[in-house]
Amino acid sequence: MSGTLLEVTDLRKHYSQRRGLVSVLTGQGRVIPAVDGVSFYLRENETVGLVGESGCGKTTIGRTVLRLTDPSSGRVVFDGRDITSLSRAELRPLRREMQMVFQDLDAGLNPKMRVREILREALTVYERPSDAEIASRIRELLEQVNLKDSKLANFPSELSGGEKRRVGIARVLAVRPRLIVADEPTSALDVSIQAQVVNLLRNLQKHLGLAYLFISHDLPVVELVSQKVAVMYLGRIVEMGLAENIAHQPRHPYTRILWSSLADKQSTEVSLYARASATVERERRTWGVFDFEQPASGCRFAPRCPLYQDKGRPAVCTDPASEPQLRNVGHGHVVACHFA
Amino acid sequence: MMDAPLLAIENLRTYFYSRVKRAFIRSVDGVSLHVARGETLGIVGESGSGKSVTALSAAGLVTAGPGVIGGRIDLHSNGARRNLLDGLERYVHVTEQDGRVMAVEKDERGWRKHAEKLMAGVRGKEIAMIFQNPRSALNPYSTVGKQLVETIRLHTNLKGENEAKERAIHWLERVRIDSPRLRFDNFPFGMSGGMCQRAMLAMALCAEPSLLIADEPTTGLDATIQSRIVELLAQLKAETSITTLLISHDISVIQRLSDRIAVMYGGTVVETGRAAEVLAEQAQVRHPYTAALLASIPSAETIRRKSYLQAIEGEVLDTIDVPRGCRFYGRCNRVTEAIRDRCAGLEPPLAEVAPGHKLRCWLHPAAPSPSRTNAAPETPA
Repeated sequence: MSGTLLEVTDLRKHYSQRRGLVSVLTGQGRVIPAVDGVSFYLRENETVGLVGESGCGKTTIGRTVLRLTDPSSGRVVFDGRDITSLSRAELRPLRREMQMVFQDLDAGLNPKMRVREILREALTVYERPSDAEIASRIRELLEQVNLKDSKLANFPSELSGGEKRRVGIARVLAVRPRLIVADEPTSALDVSIQAQVVNLLRNLQKHLGLAYLFISHDLPVVELVSQKVAVMYLGRIVEMGLAENIAHQPRHPYTRILWSSLADKQSTEVSLYARASATVERERRTWGVFDFEQPASGCRFAPRCPLYQDKGRPAVCTDPASEPQLRNVGHGHVVACHFA
Repeated sequence: MMDAPLLAIENLRTYFYSRVKRAFIRSVDGVSLHVARGETLGIVGESGSGKSVTALSAAGLVTAGPGVIGGRIDLHSNGARRNLLDGLERYVHVTEQDGRVMAVEKDERGWRKHAEKLMAGVRGKEIAMIFQNPRSALNPYSTVGKQLVETIRLHTNLKGENEAKERAIHWLERVRIDSPRLRFDNFPFGMSGGMCQRAMLAMALCAEPSLLIADEPTTGLDATIQSRIVELLAQLKAETSITTLLISHDISVIQRLSDRIAVMYGGTVVETGRAAEVLAEQAQVRHPYTAALLASIPSAETIRRKSYLQAIEGEVLDTIDVPRGCRFYGRCNRVTEAIRDRCAGLEPPLAEVAPGHKLRCWLHPAAPSPSRTNAAPETPA
């Protein structure tokens, strides 16, 4: 049965930026809407991919979903419980069910602890197992992440990138989570090791029924691991749907640009950045600056949008009163564009 | 008439000492390659394969010890031919035992003094370089324009302030920076990563170098910006036909920009040839490592069928204890019983399997004489 595990409704996270003495003293600063009204849900045993350029709010969503940062407004419901209003103490038992794999390979690996101690610590955070139980659980974890037990005596600095990633995943699995937010889990790794880790994550999902929120800028990997993909632009989801639809029938002009860099490789086995067509040339010329500080009124993608240029700069795109909302275009595919 | 290659590296060796591992790492261990005038050679490989260190060695920018140990780096430019490592070997003595480097004695002062003499007028002028992190290569206290003007006045015969400024703006325009006159007065921190990389590129090209070394020029940038920098490099290549040594771990970048490719593994070149040939989808003759590298990238077919990726098992070779046999042997899935002994016991030579296409693999020993390798930097054919 795949019930809804995580439901995010109208999530917002605004950071205030204070520059200079005056704005610090007066308490006034600019507000940066890192996440600006995002809604999605995630079922058990399902992967939702989150893609977009850096600075679009992908990581902030990941962190806010786990309450590593508090949202400004909106609701995050995990397994039927609204976690946005829970206190730290109330949150603690839920923490073990939602875990995060960070981009940084060294995050969470104490450099002064051996791998065995790192795993033992993770196993004893919520429970008090006996030494025999710990030993058997460690063996089980090593098997799950495909790591040799000779590595147990090593310090993190003695491990390779792929091994560090495996220990990081084992450490997360130690508390038996149901949801894992994986923030760029492969981007710090070499190509050959990336493939190992992607396979590992998919295997774990199959055997443990994990749900992943998979944050990445590597489009082919996202398409491969995810059932659904959400495309973000400047703090909002501009398009969301089944992975194959997003990749092969994108509606939003931004999604098209993202995938157009990969489109031509379909026939060959290597991804190409070949973007030779005339439309792409036009896209390039209209590709303005990506900037939170000068938010466009109306559709926030309009300043960079090739469709906006094509349609002869329609007024509706820049009308502050009509920012495009996500609308259903069939098969659970939603897109926020007036014309797509 | 054969034109001599602009850059010919022969049997280059660069070692480092790792305090953590208390051992010498053979980052570059006998690399030979050449870049012909006007061509782009792409070096692809995983981290630790020695691709960046090869480039840094060529530019004389290796600072950690012991650094460059030996080899030849021939640069043919302006009608002159010079070996950038000429006579440096006498400052170094290496002691080796069972594939492990035990000690390196290097007269650091003597080497440096001599090397700087050989490098004078080469680095920055003949060989320019752009790096992975452009912001760290720009001076944060000076405007982009000032830094460009400085480079132009140093390396070209435009010595006047105003004409140098005009040339600087011209180069900012060439690298497609919008409103170059305004950007001229920008500090690096006021510019995005992609823009910094463009400025960096302008700075490298404004000295009109013979060779551009681009070390991971797109790594760390956003996907959309990456493809735009790649596009810019492709355009500049078409416009200026500058000779380029391109280093990247991203095969798609290498494929888009390179005429020829060198695949590196464990400090050596394992395959080299024309890009179209080495990366051809249906290539019959291919190094197992190149094949595995290509297979580990999600293909359209893999994605459609949601199948598992073909990962290369094991870890990237650390080049402390170099095995006696093939460096890829431990991870190779193409070893057959017939050649297993050779794979494990003897390092295969870089053998020519087709004109200009060389492999270092016992599966494909060259037809005529597999024993002679690294004989000439350039195959006369």
